[in-house]
Amino acid sequence: MQKQKGSFAGVIVPVLSIILALLIGCIIIFCLGANPFVALQSLAVGAFGSKANIGTTLTKATPLIFTALCACFAYKCGVFNLGGEGQFIMGSVAAIYVTLTTGITGVPAIILALIAGAAAGGFWGFLPGILKITRGQNEMIISIMFNYIATLFMGVVYTNWLRDGSVPQTGAVPKESQLPRLIPGMRMTWGFVIAVVVGICIAYFLYRTSPGFKLRAVGINATAAKFNGFPVKRYLLMSFIVSGAIAGLGGSAEILGTQFRLINGYAAGYGFDGVAMALIGQLNPIATMFVALLFAALRAGATTMQAATGVPTSVSDIIQALVIVFTVAGMALTKLPEFTAMLQRRGKRSGKEVNKA
Amino acid sequence: MNFVSNLILATVRMAIPLLFIALGELYSERAGMVNIGLEGLAAIGSLIGFLICFITGSTWLGILCGALAGVLVNMIYAFATVTLCANHTVYGMAMNIFAPALASFIYRVYFGKGSDLSQITLMKGIGIPVLKDIPFIGPLLFNQTPMVYIAFILVILTSIFFRKTRAGLNYRAVGENPKAAATLGIRVISVKYLACAVCGALAGVGGAYLTTCYSNTYTEGNIAGRGFIALAAVIFGRWSASGILIACLFFGFCDALQIRLQVASVNIPYQFFQMIPYVATVIALSIIGSRQLGPKAAGKPYRKEEL
Repeated sequence: MQKQKGSFAGVIVPVLSIILALLIGCIIIFCLGANPFVALQSLAVGAFGSKANIGTTLTKATPLIFTALCACFAYKCGVFNLGGEGQFIMGSVAAIYVTLTTGITGVPAIILALIAGAAAGGFWGFLPGILKITRGQNEMIISIMFNYIATLFMGVVYTNWLRDGSVPQTGAVPKESQLPRLIPGMRMTWGFVIAVVVGICIAYFLYRTSPGFKLRAVGINATAAKFNGFPVKRYLLMSFIVSGAIAGLGGSAEILGTQFRLINGYAAGYGFDGVAMALIGQLNPIATMFVALLFAALRAGATTMQAATGVPTSVSDIIQALVIVFTVAGMALTKLPEFTAMLQRRGKRSGKEVNKA
Repeated sequence: MNFVSNLILATVRMAIPLLFIALGELYSERAGMVNIGLEGLAAIGSLIGFLICFITGSTWLGILCGALAGVLVNMIYAFATVTLCANHTVYGMAMNIFAPALASFIYRVYFGKGSDLSQITLMKGIGIPVLKDIPFIGPLLFNQTPMVYIAFILVILTSIFFRKTRAGLNYRAVGENPKAAATLGIRVISVKYLACAVCGALAGVGGAYLTTCYSNTYTEGNIAGRGFIALAAVIFGRWSASGILIACLFFGFCDALQIRLQVASVNIPYQFFQMIPYVATVIALSIIGSRQLGPKAAGKPYRKEEL
């Protein structure tokens, strides 16, 4: 009963938050002198209006799903991995190195690049993880510092080590080593499939296996888990490594499937966005993937909206940010004793109607 | 000699924004509010400070409005965490996403898509008579912008407030044991809201410093992790104003050093030098380790009704 009520709030609060954020978005669009209905319509058309547009939305969703799953996995174990961006970037750097410098091409290069990406991301997650369990550090600050270090390291790669020509960027992944497209006429590649499969695997691991249960137990109450004899520190470290590997895999999929080269501004903001999506999705891997899809739609549609109505694309960033602001506040509200007491009073008064519904 | 004096000068300049932001966090954490949204608060302060200065031409008005913007945005955090008892970390993260999005939206709407960078005139340095004539250290420490003096005075006042005054002790009690504080008649909720206002204002000033006293333009991502380094400075400075000053000077020094080394060296990619402040933060926190000396009730929700 208690669990049901909790999951009910977990669905209704994010949905209400999305509606409220869109409403505020409409007010902003109206204040900017555009017609909100026309703007929203062009946003929807831009995101889902044609086969090609849906392909673009799913392409944009792919890296977001990876970073969201990365944040989700670590937080299920009770640690805040804010380093998704750095882990994603290190995975991308590894993929670029495999495809451009080893001389391997074709499917072996793709497989090797994906493995190398996951390994690099996992290593970048291992660093804050090991510092957390051995030195008891604040993992948030450390993982963010590693984001900046990764971004600068990527800068060295595209301005120096693997620079291609006069523009500061690396060479492109050769055609035969790129991830193939899923359906002709749509941009999304097998990377999207990998993302969804990873999401389903994580959901299965967390909710259907014994180590997954223990990992969640550590996340809910580390002290209790310790008294039960669970190796808490090992789980914390493992959650950081796996979480980093997910982001790293996403980075290599992004390089092999969509971006093909490293360039200034690559992957900026993906890490924090991942945290936001995981929180909106109530840390459920499957729900998180749908939130990533929504965010991708807002991004894909924003360009069309800007062209049609002149409303800047940053409106869609504001809407996304408002969703997280409202969701977290809303979830806190539903847990307040005053609020639950109020619900119970209402429930007693109209108990039969609630039961029917 | 020139290298050394330039280094000291740059150290002070780079430490000031960190100092404002970190002192803001100190006021927040002393009242039990762990705010990791500093990066976002500084971003909005930075934009509003720049914008108002661009419109009115007054750097002072810009900084004031930057502080005000920080307070307003942090009131969202205050409402969610104090009144709704939301998780501090999670909500701070939400603010880190919301506030920069708001800042870049306002920038786009005001300046349009034009790629030409708008510039403002930076705040001018004011020399303190007599002191600025001391050889060597005079020009370095006593010929700065007024914001530098304000930051140092703030450190002294904060230190006195928390150590010597009754109000400061009451304030600290809220962060250590809010229920005991409430039984002593301290209005816990009000103190927490006040703490959020002070934190927002100081983080906003720290951000505004970057656009009005350091670089004369606003660029997205100009805070560059200073909000998080300031968080580290609070831990490194053991939650005391003087400790935070030393920590900020250390991180400021790392920043200053990387700029000087970038200029001095040609063969090594400049990004390796830019990593110095971030690597230094990791190392500094590793040395400190887990000896947490922070306020005991920091990050914990407080409900009046609970017994």
